[in-house]
Amino acid sequence: MNEIEITKVVPAAPDAVFRFWTEPEHVKQWWGPPGVTCTEAQVDLQVGGKYRIANLLPDGGTIWIHGEFELVEPPRKLKYTWALGLDRLPAETVTVTFTKVAFGTEVRVLHTKIPDPSMAEGHRDGWVGCLEGLAEFAARE
Amino acid sequence: MTSSAPADHSLDAVFHALADPTRRALVKRLAEGPAMVTELAEPFEMTLAAVSKHLRVLESANLVQREVNGRIHRCTLIGGPMREADRWLQDYSAFWAGTLDRFSDYVKKEQP
Repeated sequence: MNEIEITKVVPAAPDAVFRFWTEPEHVKQWWGPPGVTCTEAQVDLQVGGKYRIANLLPDGGTIWIHGEFELVEPPRKLKYTWALGLDRLPAETVTVTFTKVAFGTEVRVLHTKIPDPSMAEGHRDGWVGCLEGLAEFAARE
Repeated sequence: MTSSAPADHSLDAVFHALADPTRRALVKRLAEGPAMVTELAEPFEMTLAAVSKHLRVLESANLVQREVNGRIHRCTLIGGPMREADRWLQDYSAFWAGTLDRFSDYVKKEQP
């Protein structure tokens, strides 16, 4: 139950989409919901390789998302562990699948092992802060 | 180290309780209003004892309250913990939905 799934069809072939999703120079340009700026991305794209992504939040704070790749199957599938904050062990899991469809690629994100908010104390403020940024952005659009 | 309390208020307990289809069906039924354990058991092909066991999991997650009046057990849904769990998951959904929207915009720009 403590999982979410989001899908979106994007207009490019799986090969390109997989590269946009995993190569740092691309990640820096699209990562995060509106209001969040990705200031740095490091990706060691191999099983056991680590990644970390800096999220500059609307309140000026930075939160790092980091984890380790468990599955790297270009251009179809990625699975990696995930944590919000470098002081936390990546206990959550994100699985991304890229499926070829008529007008591009369906990107499916399955985020599992989402922690209890009481255990995520301290990061929740930053998280909520970035979501407030999202709401502001949506209101402006 | 703390020992686990009989009524676990943490959302982990809520998530665990809701991870089972029978328990989700029980919660759905209770969302319509309080019910006797016998009424709750009716739609399921399982013994009263089995349903009672599922209800205990829901109780320990603080999702359901059971009043015992003689031989009648009446169950009521407690909305609070579930709403909090739901809000927390919605935060995650909003994060990913926003991220995928930006990703899609970027792909459109890079690959006209």
